[in-house]
Amino acid sequence: MTTDNRSLDLLVQEVTEGLDAAGTMELRQRLGADLDDELSAFAFAAAASELAMGGLDHEMPRAVRDKARQAYLDAASNESTTDSVPTLRHRPRQRTPAPSARFGDRLGWLIAAAALLLAVIGWWPRPGDWPLPETTRRAEPEVRRSQLLANAGDAVELPWQATGDPAATGAAGDVVWSHDRQVGFMRFRGLAVNDPSDHQYQLWIFDGSRDDRFPVDGGVFDIDGSGEIIVPIRAKLEVEAPVLFAVTIERPGGVVVSSRERIVLMAKVG
Amino acid sequence: MLWERLAQGEPAAVDEALSRFGRLIWSLARRHTPDQAEAEDAVQDILLDLWKCAGRYDARFGSPATFVATIARRRLIDRRRRNQRHQQGDSLVGDDGLTVDLPDPRADKAEANADAALAMQALRELPGHEREAILLSTYQGMSHSQIAAHTNQPLGTVKTYIRRGLIRVRERLDRRQDTALGEEAAP
Repeated sequence: MTTDNRSLDLLVQEVTEGLDAAGTMELRQRLGADLDDELSAFAFAAAASELAMGGLDHEMPRAVRDKARQAYLDAASNESTTDSVPTLRHRPRQRTPAPSARFGDRLGWLIAAAALLLAVIGWWPRPGDWPLPETTRRAEPEVRRSQLLANAGDAVELPWQATGDPAATGAAGDVVWSHDRQVGFMRFRGLAVNDPSDHQYQLWIFDGSRDDRFPVDGGVFDIDGSGEIIVPIRAKLEVEAPVLFAVTIERPGGVVVSSRERIVLMAKVG
Repeated sequence: MLWERLAQGEPAAVDEALSRFGRLIWSLARRHTPDQAEAEDAVQDILLDLWKCAGRYDARFGSPATFVATIARRRLIDRRRRNQRHQQGDSLVGDDGLTVDLPDPRADKAEANADAALAMQALRELPGHEREAILLSTYQGMSHSQIAAHTNQPLGTVKTYIRRGLIRVRERLDRRQDTALGEEAAP
Protein backbone atom coordinates (compact mmCIF):
# COMPACT_ATOMS: atom_id res chain seq x y z
CA MET A 1 0.00 0.00 0.00
CA THR A 2 1.27 3.44 -0.84
CA THR A 3 2.10 5.60 2.14
CA ASP A 4 1.83 8.92 0.35
CA ASN A 5 -1.11 10.80 1.86
CA ARG A 6 -1.93 12.71 -1.28
CA SER A 7 -2.11 9.47 -3.28
CA LEU A 8 -4.22 7.89 -0.58
CA ASP A 9 -6.61 10.83 -0.58
CA LEU A 10 -6.97 10.60 -4.35
CA LEU A 11 -7.55 6.85 -4.20
CA VAL A 12 -10.18 7.23 -1.52
CA GLN A 13 -11.87 10.04 -3.38
CA GLU A 14 -11.95 7.96 -6.54
CA VAL A 15 -13.70 5.01 -4.90
CA THR A 16 -16.18 7.11 -2.92
CA GLU A 17 -17.17 10.06 -5.08
CA GLY A 18 -15.02 9.92 -8.17
CA LEU A 19 -12.19 12.06 -9.48
CA ASP A 20 -12.18 14.68 -12.16
CA ALA A 21 -9.79 14.52 -15.10
CA ALA A 22 -7.05 16.41 -13.30
CA GLY A 23 -7.27 14.16 -10.28
CA THR A 24 -7.23 11.10 -12.48
CA MET A 25 -4.08 12.21 -14.25
CA GLU A 26 -2.40 13.13 -11.00
CA LEU A 27 -3.21 9.74 -9.52
CA ARG A 28 -1.87 7.98 -12.57
CA GLN A 29 1.33 10.02 -12.45
CA ARG A 30 1.79 9.35 -8.74
CA LEU A 31 1.17 5.64 -8.74
CA GLY A 32 2.04 4.50 -12.24
CA ALA A 33 2.02 0.72 -12.48
CA ASP A 34 0.72 0.37 -8.92
CA LEU A 35 -2.50 2.20 -9.75
CA ASP A 36 -4.57 -0.88 -10.62
CA ASP A 37 -3.64 -2.71 -7.43
CA GLU A 38 -4.27 0.26 -5.20
CA LEU A 39 -7.60 1.17 -6.80
CA SER A 40 -8.77 -2.42 -6.64
CA ALA A 41 -7.94 -2.74 -2.97
CA PHE A 42 -9.68 0.47 -1.95
CA ALA A 43 -12.69 -0.17 -4.14
CA PHE A 44 -13.17 -3.55 -2.49
CA ALA A 45 -12.79 -1.97 0.94
CA ALA A 46 -15.43 0.63 0.13
CA ALA A 47 -17.78 -2.01 -1.25
CA ALA A 48 -17.29 -4.24 1.78
CA SER A 49 -18.01 -1.26 4.03
CA GLU A 50 -21.30 -0.69 2.28
CA LEU A 51 -22.16 -4.40 2.35
CA ALA A 52 -21.57 -4.37 6.09
CA MET A 53 -24.56 -2.06 6.49
CA GLY A 54 -26.91 -4.63 5.02
CA GLY A 55 -30.30 -3.64 3.69
CA LEU A 56 -29.50 -5.09 0.30
CA ASP A 57 -32.23 -7.67 -0.04
CA HIS A 58 -34.86 -5.80 -2.00
CA GLU A 59 -36.29 -7.90 -4.78
CA MET A 60 -35.59 -6.65 -8.29
CA PRO A 61 -38.89 -6.04 -10.10
CA ARG A 62 -39.58 -8.58 -12.78
CA ALA A 63 -39.81 -5.97 -15.51
CA VAL A 64 -36.42 -4.54 -14.56
CA ARG A 65 -34.89 -8.00 -14.51
CA ASP A 66 -36.30 -8.89 -17.91
CA LYS A 67 -35.16 -5.63 -19.46
CA ALA A 68 -31.64 -5.93 -18.08
CA ARG A 69 -31.43 -9.56 -19.15
CA GLN A 70 -32.46 -8.71 -22.69
CA ALA A 71 -29.94 -5.87 -22.93
CA TYR A 72 -27.19 -8.24 -21.82
CA LEU A 73 -28.22 -10.92 -24.30
CA ASP A 74 -28.46 -8.44 -27.14
CA ALA A 75 -25.02 -7.05 -26.38
CA ALA A 76 -23.47 -10.49 -26.04
CA SER A 77 -25.13 -11.68 -29.24
CA ASN A 78 -24.04 -8.66 -31.21
CA GLU A 79 -20.49 -9.01 -29.93
CA SER A 80 -20.27 -12.65 -31.04
CA THR A 81 -21.69 -12.13 -34.52
CA THR A 82 -20.03 -8.92 -35.59
CA ASP A 83 -16.48 -9.34 -34.40
CA SER A 84 -13.68 -11.67 -35.26
CA VAL A 85 -11.58 -10.07 -32.51
CA PRO A 86 -12.55 -11.10 -28.99
CA THR A 87 -13.41 -8.22 -26.74
CA LEU A 88 -12.95 -9.86 -23.37
CA ARG A 89 -9.38 -10.52 -22.48
CA HIS A 90 -8.88 -13.04 -19.74
CA ARG A 91 -5.44 -12.39 -18.41
CA PRO A 92 -3.73 -15.46 -16.95
CA ARG A 93 -4.19 -15.78 -13.21
CA GLN A 94 -1.12 -16.19 -11.03
CA ARG A 95 -1.39 -19.26 -8.86
CA THR A 96 0.77 -17.75 -6.12
CA PRO A 97 0.80 -14.04 -6.61
CA ALA A 98 3.48 -12.04 -4.85
CA PRO A 99 2.15 -10.01 -1.95
CA SER A 100 2.85 -6.76 -3.74
CA ALA A 101 0.72 -7.97 -6.64
CA ARG A 102 -2.19 -9.34 -4.65
CA PHE A 103 -4.68 -7.51 -6.77
CA GLY A 104 -2.56 -7.71 -9.89
CA ASP A 105 -5.17 -8.85 -12.35
CA ARG A 106 -8.24 -8.36 -10.30
CA LEU A 107 -9.74 -5.18 -11.55
CA GLY A 108 -7.55 -3.48 -14.10
CA TRP A 109 -10.67 -1.79 -15.34
CA LEU A 110 -10.66 0.41 -12.29
CA ILE A 111 -8.45 2.69 -14.29
CA ALA A 112 -11.93 3.72 -15.22
CA ALA A 113 -11.37 6.70 -12.98
CA ALA A 114 -11.80 8.51 -16.24
CA ALA A 115 -14.95 6.57 -16.95
CA LEU A 116 -16.55 8.87 -14.42
CA LEU A 117 -16.40 11.55 -17.03
CA LEU A 118 -17.57 9.50 -19.96
CA ALA A 119 -21.17 9.56 -20.98
CA VAL A 120 -21.83 5.82 -20.93
CA ILE A 121 -25.58 5.63 -20.96
CA GLY A 122 -26.74 3.23 -23.60
CA TRP A 123 -23.34 2.32 -24.93
CA TRP A 124 -24.43 -1.18 -25.74
CA PRO A 125 -25.28 -1.89 -29.38
CA ARG A 126 -28.83 -1.02 -30.33
CA PRO A 127 -30.81 -4.25 -30.27
CA GLY A 128 -32.51 -5.33 -33.44
CA ASP A 129 -30.93 -2.54 -35.38
CA TRP A 130 -28.40 -4.40 -37.46
CA PRO A 131 -29.39 -3.86 -41.07
CA LEU A 132 -27.10 -6.38 -42.77
CA PRO A 133 -28.29 -9.95 -43.34
CA GLU A 134 -27.21 -12.80 -41.10
CA THR A 135 -24.82 -14.26 -43.69
CA THR A 136 -23.06 -10.95 -43.98
CA ARG A 137 -22.57 -10.64 -40.24
CA ARG A 138 -20.57 -13.82 -40.20
CA ALA A 139 -18.48 -13.01 -43.27
CA GLU A 140 -14.85 -12.14 -43.04
CA PRO A 141 -14.14 -8.53 -42.10
CA GLU A 142 -12.85 -7.85 -45.61
CA VAL A 143 -16.14 -8.88 -47.14
CA ARG A 144 -18.12 -7.01 -44.53
CA ARG A 145 -16.08 -3.89 -45.14
CA SER A 146 -16.69 -4.09 -48.86
CA GLN A 147 -20.38 -4.64 -48.37
CA LEU A 148 -20.61 -1.72 -45.97
CA LEU A 149 -19.03 0.53 -48.57
CA ALA A 150 -21.39 -0.82 -51.21
CA ASN A 151 -24.59 -0.74 -49.17
CA ALA A 152 -24.27 2.15 -46.73
CA GLY A 153 -24.89 5.37 -48.59
CA ASP A 154 -23.30 7.47 -45.87
CA ALA A 155 -20.11 5.42 -45.47
CA VAL A 156 -16.92 7.45 -45.57
CA GLU A 157 -13.46 6.14 -46.34
CA LEU A 158 -10.64 8.07 -44.75
CA PRO A 159 -6.91 7.46 -45.29
CA TRP A 160 -4.64 7.06 -42.29
CA GLN A 161 -1.93 9.64 -41.74
CA ALA A 162 1.11 8.22 -39.99
CA THR A 163 2.70 10.19 -37.17
CA GLY A 164 6.37 10.22 -36.31
CA ASP A 165 5.97 7.30 -33.93
CA PRO A 166 8.34 4.46 -34.87
CA ALA A 167 5.46 1.97 -34.93
CA ALA A 168 3.87 3.97 -37.75
CA THR A 169 6.91 4.00 -40.03
CA GLY A 170 5.67 2.92 -43.43
CA ALA A 171 2.13 2.40 -42.15
CA ALA A 172 -0.85 3.09 -44.37
CA GLY A 173 -4.48 2.13 -44.76
CA ASP A 174 -7.84 3.66 -44.10
CA VAL A 175 -10.88 3.71 -41.91
CA VAL A 176 -14.42 3.20 -43.16
CA TRP A 177 -17.32 4.47 -41.05
CA SER A 178 -21.08 4.60 -41.45
CA HIS A 179 -22.84 7.01 -39.13
CA ASP A 180 -26.29 5.62 -39.87
CA ARG A 181 -25.28 2.06 -39.06
CA GLN A 182 -22.69 2.96 -36.40
CA VAL A 183 -20.38 0.44 -37.98
CA GLY A 184 -16.88 0.71 -39.37
CA PHE A 185 -13.65 -1.03 -40.23
CA MET A 186 -9.99 -0.14 -40.04
CA ARG A 187 -7.53 -1.36 -42.63
CA PHE A 188 -3.81 -1.43 -41.99
CA ARG A 189 -0.68 -2.13 -43.96
CA GLY A 190 2.78 -1.84 -42.53
CA LEU A 191 1.78 -1.01 -38.95
CA ALA A 192 4.34 -2.48 -36.59
CA VAL A 193 3.59 -5.91 -35.14
CA ASN A 194 2.83 -5.72 -31.43
CA ASP A 195 3.36 -8.10 -28.53
CA PRO A 196 -0.09 -8.21 -26.91
CA SER A 197 1.43 -9.08 -23.56
CA ASP A 198 3.36 -5.83 -23.68
CA HIS A 199 1.14 -3.35 -25.51
CA GLN A 200 -1.84 -3.15 -27.83
CA TYR A 201 -3.30 -0.70 -30.29
CA GLN A 202 -6.47 1.17 -29.41
CA LEU A 203 -8.80 3.19 -31.61
CA TRP A 204 -10.30 6.48 -30.43
CA ILE A 205 -13.14 8.27 -32.18
CA PHE A 206 -13.26 11.99 -31.52
CA ASP A 207 -16.88 13.02 -31.54
CA GLY A 208 -17.69 16.65 -32.21
CA SER A 209 -20.69 16.42 -29.89
CA ARG A 210 -18.53 15.39 -26.92
CA ASP A 211 -15.67 16.81 -24.89
CA ASP A 212 -12.56 16.04 -26.90
CA ARG A 213 -10.72 15.12 -23.73
CA PHE A 214 -12.78 11.95 -23.76
CA PRO A 215 -13.02 10.42 -27.20
CA VAL A 216 -15.08 7.30 -27.77
CA ASP A 217 -13.23 4.04 -27.30
CA GLY A 218 -13.26 2.17 -30.61
CA GLY A 219 -11.70 -1.03 -29.35
CA VAL A 220 -8.36 -2.66 -28.78
CA PHE A 221 -6.62 -4.73 -31.43
CA ASP A 222 -3.37 -6.38 -32.42
CA ILE A 223 -1.22 -6.44 -35.53
CA ASP A 224 0.28 -9.87 -36.12
CA GLY A 225 2.29 -9.07 -39.19
CA SER A 226 0.14 -10.93 -41.71
CA GLY A 227 0.13 -8.27 -44.41
CA GLU A 228 -3.04 -6.26 -44.78
CA ILE A 229 -5.27 -6.46 -41.75
CA ILE A 230 -8.89 -5.36 -41.44
CA VAL A 231 -10.25 -4.78 -37.95
CA PRO A 232 -13.91 -4.09 -37.09
CA ILE A 233 -14.51 -0.94 -35.09
CA ARG A 234 -16.21 -1.59 -31.75
CA ALA A 235 -17.35 1.81 -30.57
CA LYS A 236 -18.36 1.72 -26.92
CA LEU A 237 -20.75 4.64 -27.36
CA GLU A 238 -22.90 5.96 -30.15
CA VAL A 239 -20.90 8.40 -32.25
CA GLU A 240 -22.86 11.48 -33.21
CA ALA A 241 -20.38 13.51 -35.23
CA PRO A 242 -16.99 11.89 -35.82
CA VAL A 243 -14.28 14.41 -36.58
CA LEU A 244 -11.16 12.32 -36.12
CA PHE A 245 -10.11 8.70 -35.78
CA ALA A 246 -6.84 8.08 -33.94
CA VAL A 247 -4.89 4.95 -33.05
CA THR A 248 -2.72 4.94 -29.96
CA ILE A 249 -0.48 2.41 -28.28
CA GLU A 250 -1.68 1.36 -24.84
CA ARG A 251 -1.05 -1.25 -22.23
CA PRO A 252 -2.59 -4.72 -22.69
CA GLY A 253 -6.34 -4.54 -22.50
CA GLY A 254 -6.43 -0.87 -23.35
CA VAL A 255 -7.31 2.08 -21.20
CA VAL A 256 -10.36 4.16 -20.50
CA VAL A 257 -8.62 7.45 -21.17
CA SER A 258 -5.48 7.59 -23.21
CA SER A 259 -2.53 9.65 -22.13
CA ARG A 260 -1.92 10.11 -25.86
CA GLU A 261 1.77 9.59 -25.34
CA ARG A 262 1.94 7.38 -28.43
CA ILE A 263 -0.39 8.32 -31.25
CA VAL A 264 0.51 6.32 -34.33
CA LEU A 265 -2.20 6.99 -36.92
CA MET A 266 -4.88 9.60 -37.50
CA ALA A 267 -7.69 9.95 -40.00
CA LYS A 268 -9.50 13.24 -40.17
CA VAL A 269 -13.11 13.59 -41.30
CA GLY A 270 -13.83 16.22 -43.91
CA MET B 1 -17.90 -21.36 -13.16
CA LEU B 2 -20.49 -18.63 -13.37
CA TRP B 3 -17.99 -15.92 -14.21
CA GLU B 4 -16.53 -17.70 -17.19
CA ARG B 5 -19.97 -18.47 -18.56
CA LEU B 6 -21.08 -14.90 -17.96
CA ALA B 7 -18.02 -13.59 -19.81
CA GLN B 8 -18.98 -15.81 -22.74
CA GLY B 9 -22.45 -14.31 -22.90
CA GLU B 10 -24.25 -17.50 -21.95
CA PRO B 11 -27.98 -16.84 -21.37
CA ALA B 12 -28.22 -19.26 -18.47
CA ALA B 13 -25.31 -17.47 -16.83
CA VAL B 14 -27.07 -14.14 -16.75
CA ASP B 15 -30.13 -15.85 -15.29
CA GLU B 16 -27.99 -17.33 -12.57
CA ALA B 17 -26.24 -14.02 -11.95
CA LEU B 18 -29.58 -12.25 -11.61
CA SER B 19 -30.83 -14.96 -9.30
CA ARG B 20 -27.78 -14.74 -7.06
CA PHE B 21 -27.08 -11.04 -7.17
CA GLY B 22 -30.25 -9.39 -8.42
CA ARG B 23 -31.29 -8.19 -4.98
CA LEU B 24 -27.85 -6.81 -4.28
CA ILE B 25 -27.66 -4.98 -7.60
CA TRP B 26 -31.19 -3.60 -7.34
CA SER B 27 -30.76 -2.52 -3.73
CA LEU B 28 -27.54 -0.70 -4.51
CA ALA B 29 -29.06 0.92 -7.59
CA ARG B 30 -32.08 2.15 -5.66
CA ARG B 31 -29.94 3.36 -2.81
CA HIS B 32 -27.68 5.45 -5.01
CA THR B 33 -30.04 6.82 -7.65
CA PRO B 34 -32.77 9.42 -7.28
CA ASP B 35 -35.67 7.44 -8.71
CA GLN B 36 -36.74 4.10 -10.09
CA ALA B 37 -36.23 5.05 -13.72
CA GLU B 38 -32.61 5.93 -13.07
CA ALA B 39 -32.20 2.77 -11.04
CA GLU B 40 -33.52 0.67 -13.93
CA ASP B 41 -31.04 2.25 -16.32
CA ALA B 42 -28.25 1.74 -13.81
CA VAL B 43 -29.09 -1.94 -13.47
CA GLN B 44 -28.63 -2.45 -17.19
CA ASP B 45 -25.29 -0.66 -17.09
CA ILE B 46 -24.17 -2.74 -14.12
CA LEU B 47 -25.11 -6.02 -15.72
CA LEU B 48 -23.18 -5.15 -18.85
CA ASP B 49 -20.20 -4.13 -16.76
CA LEU B 50 -20.38 -7.52 -15.06
CA TRP B 51 -20.28 -9.16 -18.46
CA LYS B 52 -17.19 -7.20 -19.41
CA CYS B 53 -15.39 -7.84 -16.15
CA ALA B 54 -16.56 -11.35 -15.34
CA GLY B 55 -13.51 -12.99 -16.85
CA ARG B 56 -11.25 -11.29 -14.31
CA TYR B 57 -12.93 -12.48 -11.13
CA ASP B 58 -10.65 -14.41 -8.77
CA ALA B 59 -12.24 -15.92 -5.67
CA ARG B 60 -9.03 -15.65 -3.69
CA PHE B 61 -9.27 -11.90 -3.55
CA GLY B 62 -12.86 -11.35 -2.52
CA SER B 63 -16.29 -12.83 -2.34
CA PRO B 64 -18.54 -12.81 -5.40
CA ALA B 65 -20.90 -10.41 -3.69
CA THR B 66 -18.10 -7.95 -2.94
CA PHE B 67 -16.95 -8.21 -6.55
CA VAL B 68 -20.45 -7.47 -7.80
CA ALA B 69 -20.87 -4.65 -5.30
CA THR B 70 -17.57 -3.12 -6.37
CA ILE B 71 -18.60 -3.12 -10.01
CA ALA B 72 -22.05 -1.78 -9.17
CA ARG B 73 -20.64 1.02 -7.00
CA ARG B 74 -18.23 1.97 -9.76
CA ARG B 75 -21.07 2.43 -12.19
CA LEU B 76 -23.31 4.18 -9.69
CA ILE B 77 -20.58 6.66 -8.76
CA ASP B 78 -20.10 7.32 -12.49
CA ARG B 79 -23.76 8.05 -12.93
CA ARG B 80 -23.95 10.20 -9.86
CA ARG B 81 -21.06 12.36 -10.99
CA ARG B 82 -22.53 12.65 -14.44
CA ASN B 83 -25.89 13.66 -13.07
CA GLN B 84 -24.17 16.02 -10.64
CA ARG B 85 -26.73 15.65 -7.96
CA HIS B 86 -27.02 13.82 -4.69
CA GLN B 87 -29.68 11.14 -4.61
CA GLN B 88 -32.54 11.73 -2.20
CA GLY B 89 -36.24 11.38 -2.51
CA ASP B 90 -37.68 7.91 -2.78
CA SER B 91 -34.43 6.04 -2.45
CA LEU B 92 -34.43 3.08 -0.14
CA VAL B 93 -32.52 4.97 2.52
CA GLY B 94 -35.36 7.42 3.07
CA ASP B 95 -35.51 10.76 4.78
CA ASP B 96 -34.41 9.39 8.11
CA GLY B 97 -31.66 7.42 6.45
CA LEU B 98 -28.79 9.59 7.61
CA THR B 99 -27.93 7.01 10.20
CA VAL B 100 -24.42 5.91 10.92
CA ASP B 101 -25.24 3.13 13.32
CA LEU B 102 -23.87 -0.22 12.33
CA PRO B 103 -26.47 -2.99 12.16
CA ASP B 104 -26.61 -5.53 14.97
CA PRO B 105 -24.55 -8.46 13.73
CA ARG B 106 -26.80 -10.83 15.60
CA ALA B 107 -29.73 -9.72 13.49
CA ASP B 108 -28.03 -11.28 10.48
CA LYS B 109 -29.55 -8.70 8.20
CA ALA B 110 -26.23 -7.87 6.60
CA GLU B 111 -24.87 -9.89 3.78
CA ALA B 112 -23.73 -13.37 4.77
CA ASN B 113 -20.41 -12.30 3.35
CA ALA B 114 -16.98 -12.72 4.86
CA ASP B 115 -15.73 -9.45 3.42
CA ALA B 116 -18.65 -7.54 4.86
CA ALA B 117 -18.12 -9.18 8.24
CA LEU B 118 -14.47 -8.18 8.24
CA ALA B 119 -15.37 -4.67 7.18
CA MET B 120 -17.88 -4.46 10.00
CA GLN B 121 -15.24 -5.54 12.50
CA ALA B 122 -12.91 -2.87 11.20
CA LEU B 123 -15.63 -0.24 11.24
CA ARG B 124 -16.59 -1.06 14.82
CA GLU B 125 -13.01 -0.49 15.90
CA LEU B 126 -12.81 2.94 14.34
CA PRO B 127 -13.23 6.16 16.26
CA GLY B 128 -16.80 7.37 15.90
CA HIS B 129 -16.01 10.30 13.66
CA GLU B 130 -14.05 8.14 11.22
CA ARG B 131 -16.78 5.52 11.11
CA GLU B 132 -19.41 8.19 10.58
CA ALA B 133 -17.50 9.75 7.69
CA ILE B 134 -17.00 6.41 5.92
CA LEU B 135 -20.60 5.37 6.26
CA LEU B 136 -21.94 8.72 5.15
CA SER B 137 -19.74 8.31 2.11
CA THR B 138 -20.11 4.65 1.17
CA TYR B 139 -23.59 3.95 2.51
CA GLN B 140 -25.28 7.30 2.11
CA GLY B 141 -23.40 8.26 -1.02
CA MET B 142 -22.65 11.73 0.27
CA SER B 143 -19.81 13.69 -1.25
CA HIS B 144 -16.95 14.70 0.98
CA SER B 145 -18.13 18.32 0.85
CA GLN B 146 -21.62 17.26 1.90
CA ILE B 147 -20.23 15.25 4.76
CA ALA B 148 -18.16 18.23 5.87
CA ALA B 149 -21.28 20.39 5.90
CA HIS B 150 -23.38 17.73 7.62
CA THR B 151 -20.85 17.06 10.36
CA ASN B 152 -19.64 20.65 10.61
CA GLN B 153 -16.08 19.54 10.05
CA PRO B 154 -13.45 20.99 7.69
CA LEU B 155 -13.29 19.23 4.33
CA GLY B 156 -9.68 18.23 4.90
CA THR B 157 -10.60 16.62 8.21
CA VAL B 158 -13.38 14.62 6.55
CA LYS B 159 -10.99 13.40 3.88
CA THR B 160 -8.54 12.34 6.57
CA TYR B 161 -11.24 10.44 8.46
CA ILE B 162 -12.37 8.59 5.36
CA ARG B 163 -8.82 7.82 4.34
CA ARG B 164 -7.88 6.42 7.74
CA GLY B 165 -11.03 4.40 8.01
CA LEU B 166 -10.85 2.84 4.56
CA ILE B 167 -7.21 1.97 5.17
CA ARG B 168 -8.28 0.06 8.28
CA VAL B 169 -10.93 -1.80 6.35
CA ARG B 170 -8.51 -2.54 3.56
CA GLU B 171 -5.86 -3.82 5.98
CA ARG B 172 -8.41 -6.15 7.55
CA LEU B 173 -9.35 -7.54 4.15
CA ASP B 174 -5.68 -7.82 3.18
CA ARG B 175 -4.94 -9.92 6.27
CA ARG B 176 -7.76 -12.29 5.36
CA GLN B 177 -6.38 -12.67 1.85
CA ASP B 178 -2.85 -13.21 3.16
CA THR B 179 -4.24 -15.98 5.36
CA ALA B 180 -6.06 -17.52 2.41
CA LEU B 181 -2.98 -17.38 0.21
CA GLY B 182 -0.89 -18.86 2.97
CA GLU B 183 -3.30 -21.73 3.38
CA GLU B 184 -3.32 -22.32 -0.35
CA ALA B 185 0.46 -22.35 -0.53
CA ALA B 186 0.87 -24.65 2.45
CA PRO B 187 1.95 -28.19 1.60
